[in-house]
Amino acid sequence: MHSIEEEFGNQLDLALESNGLTPLPEDRAALLKAFSTGREQAALVFSVAEARYEEPDLIFSASLS
Amino acid sequence: MTAPDVVAPEEGALSSALTIADAQTALRDGTLTATELLREAYATADAVDETLGIYLSRFDETAQAAAAAIDAAFAAGEDPGPLAGIPLGIKDIISTTEGETTAQSLVLDRAWGAGVGDAVVVSRLRAAGAVITGKLTTMEYATGVPDPAKPFPIPRNPWNTDYWTGGSSSGTGNGVAAGAILGGLGTDTGGSIRIPSAFCGITGLKATFGRVPKSGCVPLGYSLDNIGPMARSARDCAIMLNALAGYDASDACAVEVPTEDYLAGLDGDLSGLTIGLDRLLGKAPTRDPAVDAALDAVVDVLTGLGATVVDVELPLWQELNAATRITSRSEAFAYHAPDLRSRWGDYFSATRTGVGAAIAFTGADYVQAQRVRRVGQKAVASLFETVDLIITPTSSVAGWKIDELDSMADRFGAMHTGYWNALGNPALALPMGFSGQPRAGGLPLSLQIIGRPFTESLVLRAGDAYQRVTDWHVLTPAAADRPAAAVAS
Amino acid sequence: MTTELATPGEESAATSTILTIADAGEALRSGTTTSVELTTAMLEKATALNPALGAYVEITSDLALEQAAAADAAFAAGSDAGPLQGIPLAIKDIIKVAGVPTTANSRILDPAWGGDADAPVVARLRAAGSVFIGKSTTSEFALGMPDADKGFPVPHNPWDVTRTPAGSSSGTGVATAAGLAFGGLGTDTGGSVRGPATVNGHSGLKVTFGRVPKAGVVPLGYSLDSIGPMARSAYDCALLLQVMAGYDAADPNAADVPVPSYTAGLDGSVDGIKIGLPIPYFFDHDQLDPEVRDGVLSAVQALVGLGATSTEMELAHADKAQHANALILVGEAYAYHRNNMVERWTTYGKYTRPGLVRGMFYTAADYVQANRFRVLWCEQVAKALETYDVLITPSAPTTAQVAADMNPSQRLLQPSYTGQWNLSGLPAICIPTGFSSEGLPLSMQIIGKPFAEATVLKIADAYQRITDHHLQVPPVDALITTAA
Repeated sequence: MHSIEEEFGNQLDLALESNGLTPLPEDRAALLKAFSTGREQAALVFSVAEARYEEPDLIFSASLS
Repeated sequence: MTAPDVVAPEEGALSSALTIADAQTALRDGTLTATELLREAYATADAVDETLGIYLSRFDETAQAAAAAIDAAFAAGEDPGPLAGIPLGIKDIISTTEGETTAQSLVLDRAWGAGVGDAVVVSRLRAAGAVITGKLTTMEYATGVPDPAKPFPIPRNPWNTDYWTGGSSSGTGNGVAAGAILGGLGTDTGGSIRIPSAFCGITGLKATFGRVPKSGCVPLGYSLDNIGPMARSARDCAIMLNALAGYDASDACAVEVPTEDYLAGLDGDLSGLTIGLDRLLGKAPTRDPAVDAALDAVVDVLTGLGATVVDVELPLWQELNAATRITSRSEAFAYHAPDLRSRWGDYFSATRTGVGAAIAFTGADYVQAQRVRRVGQKAVASLFETVDLIITPTSSVAGWKIDELDSMADRFGAMHTGYWNALGNPALALPMGFSGQPRAGGLPLSLQIIGRPFTESLVLRAGDAYQRVTDWHVLTPAAADRPAAAVAS
Repeated sequence: MTTELATPGEESAATSTILTIADAGEALRSGTTTSVELTTAMLEKATALNPALGAYVEITSDLALEQAAAADAAFAAGSDAGPLQGIPLAIKDIIKVAGVPTTANSRILDPAWGGDADAPVVARLRAAGSVFIGKSTTSEFALGMPDADKGFPVPHNPWDVTRTPAGSSSGTGVATAAGLAFGGLGTDTGGSVRGPATVNGHSGLKVTFGRVPKAGVVPLGYSLDSIGPMARSAYDCALLLQVMAGYDAADPNAADVPVPSYTAGLDGSVDGIKIGLPIPYFFDHDQLDPEVRDGVLSAVQALVGLGATSTEMELAHADKAQHANALILVGEAYAYHRNNMVERWTTYGKYTRPGLVRGMFYTAADYVQANRFRVLWCEQVAKALETYDVLITPSAPTTAQVAADMNPSQRLLQPSYTGQWNLSGLPAICIPTGFSSEGLPLSMQIIGKPFAEATVLKIADAYQRITDHHLQVPPVDALITTAA
């Protein structure tokens, strides 16, 4: 059973690889922290109940037609 | 009514507390020439820049030529524009015809700026007569914290040089605070005008998203970026905004909303206004108690000016801050991905780990963040039905020591600016007091004033009214090794 | 006007010789038939054929007959709301109709989509006096393939029931082809109006993004979704669009652009129309069926014979435009569905969930980058449309595929010719060009400038005045006897 830290580490490694990034060893702690904070932030935006039926404001849609 | 502990400006140091408004008058009544003003500004920079890290590049020759031309025009009885002869600096992610635009990075292709020439905002400042003095330090690509391993100046807070200026418009912040420039351009995607304004004790305005065209500026977050003025006062910001604001087709995000004369409403009167205060208690990991003492004094001042101050609670605080973070990281990573793949180590440590962390977010996370922004806009609009303006502290802390800055990941919670980038409202940061003793290592505290979209006039009126009866904004740090006052009369 | 039907290789026992909205309108006004008569016949046929064809999630008989009676009464009283009065239509079951459930073909059964109020587009059809035969089947949440385990009707292609009717507006497509409605509403995010029109052998129009308000429609991809009319003929699509189009504040992406007359220009003339044929990817792909390609090129020649000109040209990155559309679509869709998928994974159909969760495999920066690419694609296409009035491409690389052979993974690898136009928000109509050697419909796609639906419809209508592919009816009566 992996700890949360190990799991985030695995996810981070997979994400780095699939995005073609090769960080330096000294970056790992900051990346891990930022990655796990990022997942928390993603969970926060998905917790906004009022957004259930809300349409987003996607700036690129303004450039159509 | 003045706030407690106000320290009067040093005698003979008039120019270091000089505002753009002051300079406008002095230039026209013969007290000062543009050439003298520029010389004084550069002399200040010469004295302090090695310590403070204000400039990346200076345009002494072209600036002097511009100042001379302004003086000739004045002498010929012309008025070359509201910003005529005013020395202004430009954050080095905004392109100018002079010099190179570097984004304070080894990575940015120098040919980009050369291809742009003057950004629209720079053209507008020049057209108003401004003298562009040089390119100011910034965090790399407008994000992160300094990296001592990279060959760029470290920007220091003139109030206490152990401390960081805040970012990312660092050089604009300490440049104005130290008197090396009378004003300058910063950019703001999550707080990068307002935080250095806060930490350096000056006034900075993030206008409504789309109010000031952002073409010719290296992007950080397309749907969040703003270019805006930083100067000594709200009045000065209004003078600059008059030159900067207005639609331009070169910016896909620019809005075709008519501009106004942002000075016209600065009458010092806040009667009849209802101002909502959210102290944002508990929102930051730590909080300086001086912030609350300063806020109490602010309430007294605003009430004395005729406003009614009520308590409000900003909705969806954590969620909208998360939305700003997700959006800015992801938009930045889209821009930087190819360079991060091929030149990871050339980036500053905080830039690469901060922007690189965008790989944590899925496309759906980004879309959801935009939905939350829309929900937030509606919720805040609803709040603005009960108040005319909102005030909060700009930050719960007065700053951090440079040695303590690593990735700053935990520290963002103390800065209360990114919420407004998610929503797009105009937000002004201005000094409201000190933590500790000014000129004895104490650091400035800052108030944030926010209005409904496109109500910059009202926001600036509140800031200007506050600054007519307080002196925080004309205090200057003890400038190290300054030449004696050299203003000719 | 009656038409001799000639389905390839078979005689059809037509139950009705009124095939189009235009024909029906004439017949209603000349007293040849009544709305109740038309509606009753269609309700019976729809009910009898639903086991075999699966066109409808719910056949709303009471509502339809009520609306039909009201239309007849209106005619009798001399009141005429226009060409849609009394016309039976199908409404895709992701679009809200007051008083009727909206299921999105899903056991998720979100109560918020219950029928308290019409979607604005439905309100417009109702006010025009049309008749709602029922809520037509859709791919679950407008994405993926039918999952028989979920208990919703599985739609089948009426030309060959072993084949897919395509999606996601499958039900409206099947109903239109089989005569179970005169036409109706679909939605199109990557091809979901045009796909069913293509393989079921009729006309389907994806409108300019924002042309028709999409409030009251379960979203798939916010920046891509487009509601569109489906009917046998382009002329009928014009009649439908005339009622559907126009600004509504309920949709933050609705375009405040004036609505022109969509029928005024339908005079059969295409003199001076300049057609561009983008050859790379659209005409030279090794997975493109030569019969499909030849069908398009013959149709283009027919238009040239009527006075148009056609020129081969190139659009770079058409394959990437398809990928960008898919990426944006799943990112936006997964944002909508994520919380439900966390709690109710198995309630979603087994083909829907891997489709939706694809949104998880792209980063936010991928999504942003796809939108940056989108700007470039739009600029390139806009530039091409300065030279040409329309572009013409095949609608799909193949004819209707055998359902049992299909799987979602295989679909990911096929070329596709529809999503590029959602990406650029342009109007695009698919109309039949003939039949393959297997008796399956062939189709072509006509793409126009933003808000130039009138031009696109004009060209399609001109072609349909000199051909009758769109009037062919599949041999569905045989299915009634076998299904009884």
